[in-house]
Amino acid sequence: MDIFSELLGMFDEFDNVFSVNTSQKESKTCPVCGYRWSDFNRSGKFGCPECYKTFETGAQRVLRQIHSSSNHTGKIPSKSGAEVKAKRRLEELRRKLKEAVASEDYETAAKLHSEIKQIEEGGIK
Amino acid sequence: MIWYNELNDGIVISTRVRLARNIDKTPFPATLGKDDKKKVTQTICDSILKSNSTLSKDFKLYKLNEMTESEKTAMTEEHLISPQMINNPDGAVLVNNDKTMSIMLMEEDHIRLQIIKGGYCLEEAYDLADKVDDVMEESLSYAFNEKFGYLTACPTNAGTGMRASVMMHLPALVMTGNISRVVQSFSGMGIAVRGLYGEGTDAEGALYQISNSITMGLSERETIEKLKSVTDKICDMEKQARDMLLKNHSDDLKDKLMRSYGILKYAVKITSKEAKTMLSDVMLGQNMGIIKCDGKMTPLELMIKTAPSVISGNGGLSPNERDKKRAELIKENL
Repeated sequence: MDIFSELLGMFDEFDNVFSVNTSQKESKTCPVCGYRWSDFNRSGKFGCPECYKTFETGAQRVLRQIHSSSNHTGKIPSKSGAEVKAKRRLEELRRKLKEAVASEDYETAAKLHSEIKQIEEGGIK
Repeated sequence: MIWYNELNDGIVISTRVRLARNIDKTPFPATLGKDDKKKVTQTICDSILKSNSTLSKDFKLYKLNEMTESEKTAMTEEHLISPQMINNPDGAVLVNNDKTMSIMLMEEDHIRLQIIKGGYCLEEAYDLADKVDDVMEESLSYAFNEKFGYLTACPTNAGTGMRASVMMHLPALVMTGNISRVVQSFSGMGIAVRGLYGEGTDAEGALYQISNSITMGLSERETIEKLKSVTDKICDMEKQARDMLLKNHSDDLKDKLMRSYGILKYAVKITSKEAKTMLSDVMLGQNMGIIKCDGKMTPLELMIKTAPSVISGNGGLSPNERDKKRAELIKENL
């Protein structure tokens, strides 16, 4: 059996386990492609990128089952992900600032603080 | 140079990195109308062919509905298109001059960018894929979500959209009966070990594909590091098995490999399965310095060029005729 058929089998199982949730929460229709959760269950595939938003709860559950995680930590596209990139940079700077303060390295902390301020004033909170 | 003719260490044959990408706010190919598919294909093609990058002159577009069956089969065997693409009338593929890069359009996802090279070069292949991806993104808006990463038709690819793999030749692990242990031991680690032709221990030609099975929770670099460490371990195990065979069963090993070489050189007809098994023996013999081949094609190239679909060409050959044609091709070129 190939990996894909195995996974499809898995989705069927989830559907049984989560059938109550599925029928209640995933009765929506995707506004872009018209897919319903039952279409995903049948094919194991989404109809369009928007489906990930429409069926967010279900998608998250399925992704966690497949990958043991539902958080992307890899590449961010420079154009459509510019905001995400800045946000991640801000998170990283804030974490470093905390570390600098904790280790009483006030010179680094001051530098990090002004860098954070600069990004925040640029519009990304 | 095409992957199967490049030099390799005899264990890792080739490296492949594939990125799945889709266009924002656009249904995936399975739910996209015919006319829209054409438009999206054109937009994606322009992102390469009309880019300012040197890539624009390196690629050529092939539309699947304008290709002959044998051209499509050849591209499948060269791993430039997937077998699913053959019957996809709306599909197209951009291939570069030396056939190391292919960009499949309107397969399961809008874009399947692939780098395939001979030998063991995961980082180099990823860097190249990353670069081409950046060039395309300059004029395209990718479907991307902060939490779930790159969005793909099948959730098994969402996140990085990356599938990295190496093709390994593991005949000594097969001969010593250790292969099933290897296949099983890495399967729970987010790494899949699969036969290239057939599953598990029955993999014809002892060719195995080792790839990442998860695309979320790890970055591209972390995934590649993990795949590399597994590949290195399997490589060591294969080397140990080869050493052990040579040390403890030298005569039996040489006899087996030379017999395969003899059959390939003189047989009048040969089935695909037999050819793959024996060509694998000759590959091993060559790598261990037991057999010296000076033919026009390498055993690996012959394995690819004697697959049933390639041998048939445009069809019309009976199994018996195919077996005869295969034996002739091997005899002439090995």
